[in-house]
Amino acid sequence: MVTLWLWLFSFFFLLGLLCTLAFQLMCLVDLEYDYINPYDSASRINRVVLPEFIAQGALCFFFLLTGNWLTFVFSLPYLCYNVRLYMERRHLVDVTEIYNQLRWEKKQRFLKIGYVILLVFLSLFWLLSSISVEDE
Amino acid sequence: MGTENPGRQQFPARPAATPFAAPPQNVMPFSSSGPLVRSESSGFRSTLPAGHQPMMPPSMHMDGSQVSGFRSPPIARFNDPSVPSPPTSSVPATVGPFQRFPTPPFRSTAQVPLSHAPPVGQPLAQPPAPSVSFRTQPQIPLVPMGSPPQSLNSAPPNMNVPYSSPDSTVPAPRPNFQSSFPGHIRLQSNADSQAPPIQSPFSAHQGGYAPAPLPSSSPFLAHPGGYVPPPPVLAPMGLQSRDQMQHFGSGPPIGSIQGLMEDFSSLSIGSVPGSIDPGIDPKALPRPLEGDVEPKLLAEMYPMNCDPRYLRLTTSAIPNSQSLAARWHLPLGAIVCPLAEAPDGDEVPVVNFASTGIIRCRRCRTYVNPFITFTDSGRKWRCSICSLLNDVPGEYFSHLDATGRRLDLDQRPELTKGSVEFVAPTEYMMRPPMPPVYFFLIDVSISAVRSGMIEVVAQTIRSCLDKLPGFPRTQIGFATFDSAIHFYNMKSSLTQPQMMVVSDLDDIFVPLPDDLLVNLSESRNVVETFLDSLPSMFQDNMNVESAFGPALKAAFMVMSQLGGKLLIFQNTLPSLGVGRLKLRVDDLRVYGTDKEHMLRLPEDPFYKQMAAELTKNQISLNAYAFSEKYTDIASLGALAKYTGGQVYYYPSFQSATHGEKLRHELSRDLTRETAWEAVMRIRCGKGVRFTSYHGNFMLRSTDLMALPAVDCDKAYAAQLSLEDTLLTTQTVYFQVALLYTASCGERRIRVHTAAAPVVADLGEMYRQADSGAIVSLLSRLAIEKTLSHKLEDARNSLQLRIVKALKEYRNLYAVQHRLGGRMIYPESLKFLPLYGLAICRSKPLRGGYADAPLDECCSAGYTMMSLPVKKLLKLLYPRLVRLDEYLLKASTQADIKDLEKTLPLAAENLDARGLYLYDDGFRFILWFGRALSPDVAMNLLGADFAAELSKVNLYEHDNEMSRKLMRIIKNFRDSDHSYYQLCHLVRQGEQPRESFLLLSYLLEDQMGGANGYVNWFLQIHRQVQQNA
Repeated sequence: MVTLWLWLFSFFFLLGLLCTLAFQLMCLVDLEYDYINPYDSASRINRVVLPEFIAQGALCFFFLLTGNWLTFVFSLPYLCYNVRLYMERRHLVDVTEIYNQLRWEKKQRFLKIGYVILLVFLSLFWLLSSISVEDE
Repeated sequence: MGTENPGRQQFPARPAATPFAAPPQNVMPFSSSGPLVRSESSGFRSTLPAGHQPMMPPSMHMDGSQVSGFRSPPIARFNDPSVPSPPTSSVPATVGPFQRFPTPPFRSTAQVPLSHAPPVGQPLAQPPAPSVSFRTQPQIPLVPMGSPPQSLNSAPPNMNVPYSSPDSTVPAPRPNFQSSFPGHIRLQSNADSQAPPIQSPFSAHQGGYAPAPLPSSSPFLAHPGGYVPPPPVLAPMGLQSRDQMQHFGSGPPIGSIQGLMEDFSSLSIGSVPGSIDPGIDPKALPRPLEGDVEPKLLAEMYPMNCDPRYLRLTTSAIPNSQSLAARWHLPLGAIVCPLAEAPDGDEVPVVNFASTGIIRCRRCRTYVNPFITFTDSGRKWRCSICSLLNDVPGEYFSHLDATGRRLDLDQRPELTKGSVEFVAPTEYMMRPPMPPVYFFLIDVSISAVRSGMIEVVAQTIRSCLDKLPGFPRTQIGFATFDSAIHFYNMKSSLTQPQMMVVSDLDDIFVPLPDDLLVNLSESRNVVETFLDSLPSMFQDNMNVESAFGPALKAAFMVMSQLGGKLLIFQNTLPSLGVGRLKLRVDDLRVYGTDKEHMLRLPEDPFYKQMAAELTKNQISLNAYAFSEKYTDIASLGALAKYTGGQVYYYPSFQSATHGEKLRHELSRDLTRETAWEAVMRIRCGKGVRFTSYHGNFMLRSTDLMALPAVDCDKAYAAQLSLEDTLLTTQTVYFQVALLYTASCGERRIRVHTAAAPVVADLGEMYRQADSGAIVSLLSRLAIEKTLSHKLEDARNSLQLRIVKALKEYRNLYAVQHRLGGRMIYPESLKFLPLYGLAICRSKPLRGGYADAPLDECCSAGYTMMSLPVKKLLKLLYPRLVRLDEYLLKASTQADIKDLEKTLPLAAENLDARGLYLYDDGFRFILWFGRALSPDVAMNLLGADFAAELSKVNLYEHDNEMSRKLMRIIKNFRDSDHSYYQLCHLVRQGEQPRESFLLLSYLLEDQMGGANGYVNWFLQIHRQVQQNA
């Protein structure tokens, strides 16, 4: 039972992560198609960047605590990448150069989304396997 | 040009693809000559054998016939690179004269192209006697501009040769314009290591003359790589004759049969086995000694295009497919200078549609332009860009004549001119047009006071008050700062300005927000009183701090309602409050690492955010920096970059020496015609799209540049990409639209329209390339690269790009022409390698710690990002002229034209007995040779002549020589007002000043780790050859 709760918790976390990423991507696409001006787009994205990073960090920590080594190891590269971005102060979008960086920013977020989806499946697999173990 | 005609006739079929297939009229001018040529040529041929047979190999004809000649079997033998030149020495000489005589008319045509020939030749020009005699021939007179250049031609390498017609596509070229000649460039110069000048003449058509019995053949056969040149003496003659021959070549009908043409220039680079010689003749290398040449070809093809000063495409032939575009390794794009200064009489006409409203395409929003067509007896018009049929509004209707032209065409400048200005109705205003606003933010800390900057600035502003644009609406305001911010209430009811000090830097507020920015005409007296007292107000200020960030925020708050121009005068590193910066150059270890580029980016995100906010509120910022110490121009400049402004940097400013420069440039900044709250968009036809923009501005949407203020000194670059895999149209249209508020308060739209043909042939793209625009775009890309990569990477990628382009070009021609070791490049891009070198050695790309202070590199980078093409090219390859001969000439009236002989930028051209002037558009350097006659120095410098020159200022003395010099300097300055060239004096051997001021800028010499021209050229050549 505990496993299920833990899983649900991590599942919603991942879902939340997915949403923030999708939101950022949406802002970028809107910008590309000129539905939104760069000032609004950048400020919206920048508002959710830090929460995204923190959520991801917390999730990693959570995996570590609950002993899900495999998923933890899997989400580690993502965490490292985020930390590096943050240290280099490149985590926020730069409104002055946003159009030049648009491609890179989009690509980066697409990859992140793919990664998170992968994690969801992985944790699903973990849930199923642990439940089946419990049942036995 | 002469050649063109014949050429065309010969190869009519070929160009067909291009839309521009030559309009008859273009041809016309030449047509007369055309026929002539042919007949002549034929005649010539016949005679030839008779007279000169022994010496003259058929090759001469071959020239004419070269085309055919090429492939002929015999040729093969000679294909070696070596082949071309050798004969030159002997053969040409004889030939030359002979050719000339028979066909004077011919020559004239032929020569024209020559005239273009790169200046390179000049030095060579002093030829041996024999050649001279030849020269005297009629040709000289015939050639309009040519005569001097002509001699140049003789210089081998110049790819000057005009093309012959092969590509019919190209309309008739003007004589003066080289590239215009469609055709081939036959000249190749084979520069041999040893015998420089000579060789070039022969090169190109090996086939043609190969068969000929060449007296000299042996030499070249021997050295496959390059051939050994003949005695230099002959060379000049040879060259000339050669050139001529080449021209002839195009003439003969024979060529037509094969329809093969080449249009490239080449330079043979031979390394004779076992020799250490680099295998290249430095004198033979192409040099842009005549400055920038605008492409005239396109303008002739589409006479209604806007002038190239407004819009220049990197190539006037747009590729028709993505795969073709990918093979064009150079940037594909445009340089736009929307407000370029027009010469008197050529101003952009203003059109007011009044009640009709501005006529635009319904779908793509293109403005009415000369390329639209009217149908349905004048009731509809077809958009040139998207081909949509639009209705003609009733008020704009006019009947069409039999040819489909509107009857009122001559009263409609918008339908006949590529550049027009529409008066915009209220739909084009987001708010009432703003008045011109100038706000000055002046540093008054101790270093600013000591340098005398405040005084010069105050005086200059005061003297410009009458000339500020937009009277009587102009608004003006001032704030000063050190560790606190001082505001000045200048309400017109006051007699004296009131000063208010805000020292709480964390929570900035603006006292009396309404009276800080005042109407100049109402508060004129208060403003004048303020400016008069400003220098004395702070003369005892001992404050060393600079609260720049908070002051900027305060200025922003004052201006945010209206927008306008914010001028900041900064003398120290911002040290207090938000946006304070640290001395980051101290850490030498950063240089050369992956973090190096961070030094060239704003340190604090505050600067970029602030820049974005400024732009949003229509504020443009110009940064003036003066410190001798590090002021972090990288950060300050970002403010200017994203607000459409400009950076002026006066390192170690002292009012006594730099005052004049600041005065001139500040007053130019204040008084030049400025467009306010502008946005600019470039539209182009279906299938192509502008994808990236480079310059000082901020993008407001994917293709809309926000320019809070624009003026004539700013240019913007954009890169094109193809959206469709294949373009089906024959022509692509470009339309630049700049919507702005004129200083008079009228909202206007300036529209520049241009058309360019779509081609399917890579050779055509090269032929129509505009090296000025390419260089300008390449330099911007390289500078942008330095902001995210190491300098070395930026330089390498630039070099790689040039190599790729030349390699592609080589592949285009190498196989059929068996070029061997020769370096070939399109005539239109002959200067590309040199400019590439110049970019690599320019300040923004060169500056390691040892080379140039970081601030200078950054400010040069920001400046180069906004320079128009001509000024950039001059900065990259400055002008070097010798003055002493002119000064010593007795005649007072000697015309200044004598000075147009520009020298290659190499130390070997500096004669110790001479006096030279170096002019890069930003500064003059007057170089006194060691053995310069003391009289000259005494006359020019007066009593200072023996003093250390770094402390001497040049001013006019009471003697003819000095007056003459000042006249020259004034004349040079008048050619470009956008910057003031301060004159630095330096004496030969005065180290380290000499190398620091001048020698390190002599581009062609090796300096430190940087390549010289010859090495660079060889390096490029080697890389092109690899896997070629």
